[in-house]
Amino acid sequence: MMSGPVKKLLFVTRFEDLGFDTLQLFLELRKTSLEHIVFLYVIQRDKVAFQRGVGYKKSEEIRLREKANIRFIDWAETLFEQGMEVGVYITVGNLVSQVLSAVDKEGIDLVVIGNSEKKRLSQLVSGSDIAELMHRTPAPVLTINFPSDAKRLTENPFHRPLVALNWLPGEQRILDFLLSLKGIVQGVDVIHVAREQDLKGTSAMGVQKTRKEQRKRLEAVCGQLEASDISAQAHVYVGEPSEEIHRAARDCRSSLIVIGSPQKKAFDGKFRKSLPVELAETALCPVLLVPGSSAAAGEP
Amino acid sequence: MPAKILLVDDDPDVMLFNKTVAEENGFQTVTAANGEEGLALLEKEHPDLVVLDVLMPRQSGVKMYRTIKTEEKWRDIPVIILSGISRRSFLKSQEALTEFGEENVPQPEAYLEKPVEAGDLARTIQNNLKKAEN
Repeated sequence: MMSGPVKKLLFVTRFEDLGFDTLQLFLELRKTSLEHIVFLYVIQRDKVAFQRGVGYKKSEEIRLREKANIRFIDWAETLFEQGMEVGVYITVGNLVSQVLSAVDKEGIDLVVIGNSEKKRLSQLVSGSDIAELMHRTPAPVLTINFPSDAKRLTENPFHRPLVALNWLPGEQRILDFLLSLKGIVQGVDVIHVAREQDLKGTSAMGVQKTRKEQRKRLEAVCGQLEASDISAQAHVYVGEPSEEIHRAARDCRSSLIVIGSPQKKAFDGKFRKSLPVELAETALCPVLLVPGSSAAAGEP
Repeated sequence: MPAKILLVDDDPDVMLFNKTVAEENGFQTVTAANGEEGLALLEKEHPDLVVLDVLMPRQSGVKMYRTIKTEEKWRDIPVIILSGISRRSFLKSQEALTEFGEENVPQPEAYLEKPVEAGDLARTIQNNLKKAEN
């Protein structure tokens, strides 16, 4: 499955997380192919659910719908005036189902979604929306953590991405995606994290040999990017993948972490957190999860 | 034979209102929930007038309006825009698309901002059908 240019972007907001200021950072993608923004606001069922003695809170649903509608009209006017195409969904239900439905109906190329701290804490027990979404959507998902990112997200995340690779067949889709953003991406850092256990028992020479081999493979990837005039730098890190990817993102002052995400028939996010999900939930910068690889980078 | 009105809006409450107003005033109606469906019905139903929302999923009224007004077979069908999006933004959107190299389109026959009174909608439909006849 190829990852083509981003023509249609789904912007999933609860307003307290992603605002119009964040969306505007993505409008630079118009230079390549972006022409259509679709807004999605999902009213959580428990906010309007049927309660004994109260019934279904229809007036609350109308209030929330209209509040969102007014906000979206304001945003849409600005975008329409710039010659963009805009669509809106305001729905009641489960967030993941509604995102998947919108992706399917609209043929979305990129999903942008916020991940608030409060929400993350509540999901420790119930399972993560991001994890479920990542496993089920065919479109790349860009997650932005709040409030931690709120202060620092002042540039287009695609300017300086850090790409974490683990040599899986589906990872070519990550590169295809970045190549489609030529002219936006200013430079790419490509990283592979070798696990310490893979190095144990080998000599210093052996460790260096491993590094050299990995670096050579990374440099081949950099060559592919540079052939399209996107500057790229290879890095090998050793250690626990999540920690090392965070460290590399800091070292490289990355604006985005990009990683392949697995698609599984049966979602098991409640029981086991994968590396992409862990990164998406903890990273200080946005994380782009690109589906299509059979297992995630850094996972055994 | 009553005039046929194509109503395009994704909001079921607004659609019910528009349909009731149109039918109570003796018009026949066909309905679509977005621009894509609207264009398909335009081809199939040959309506005499279109009442069009702007902000909708799949295809907005901005795009559907542009298609209507740039297609030879449809450009004479009067279009009443009925939307929460301001007239100013709608006109600017069409100017922007023209600047991006698309064909210039005329202004819509009428523009009503939501919410609209039943009488205003009925009157606007009637007036524009009369104008189109002449």
